[in-house]
Amino acid sequence: MSPMPRIRNRLNVVLQMVTALITAILLAQLWLFTVTLDAMENSGAAIQIVVAAVACSAVACTAIWMLIRFFLRTEHNETGDRF
Amino acid sequence: MDKRWRQDFPVPSAEDSYVARREFAKFLGLTSLAFLVGTLATAGRKLAKQMFPRDDAPLDIGAVNEIPVGGYKLFRYPTEHDPCIVLRLSDDRYAAFDQRCTHLSCPVIFNAATKRLACPCHEGFFSAEDGRPLAGPPKRGLARLEVTTRNARVWVKRAGEAKENTI
Repeated sequence: MSPMPRIRNRLNVVLQMVTALITAILLAQLWLFTVTLDAMENSGAAIQIVVAAVACSAVACTAIWMLIRFFLRTEHNETGDRF
Repeated sequence: MDKRWRQDFPVPSAEDSYVARREFAKFLGLTSLAFLVGTLATAGRKLAKQMFPRDDAPLDIGAVNEIPVGGYKLFRYPTEHDPCIVLRLSDDRYAAFDQRCTHLSCPVIFNAATKRLACPCHEGFFSAEDGRPLAGPPKRGLARLEVTTRNARVWVKRAGEAKENTI
């Protein structure tokens, strides 16, 4: 196998791992969204819960975009494909 | 024939799926952004509710003798879209709640024999005394309203301090 397809195969594996990680983070974000919805419905819920959920969701979103950017940058460096 | 087909569509299938996965990763990123926007919007609504609480006027829901002991009356408060129920637990004790079950918003029904409010949709039960959840899927108590009697009439208003009844 020539070097380029081998690199691409490796990148495919990395992308699958990144996708799995992103999916896990997305599930956590979905849970945070339900926590916020529940807090909105429940007038007795503390505002700190909502603030923490928003902060965590923002961190998760940033992490996801950084992971995608990391992957695309790596791919660009290895294969020269534009991102 | 085969060569001409390849000339017209010069995209190897392996490359094609490779690109699709990259697009999928971007789609996941946009989904994450959508979740963040949703969470922010919900948080904003919660903040607005806390910062600018509605000051609803008390509502006269009828004469005292309209509700027998062990009986109930349905009404809507504060808007036509908010079904509520007032229970007469004894001669001078009343309790009023939002009639929507905290599980999936089915209307709850009062059972005077068991002194419980029951949700027929998923077998959820609440205490008629304070609206706390007793059994079934609901984890949160029914929203309470303050009940007072003046000049032989029953008045309700939004409870000043929200109480959280959870199990």
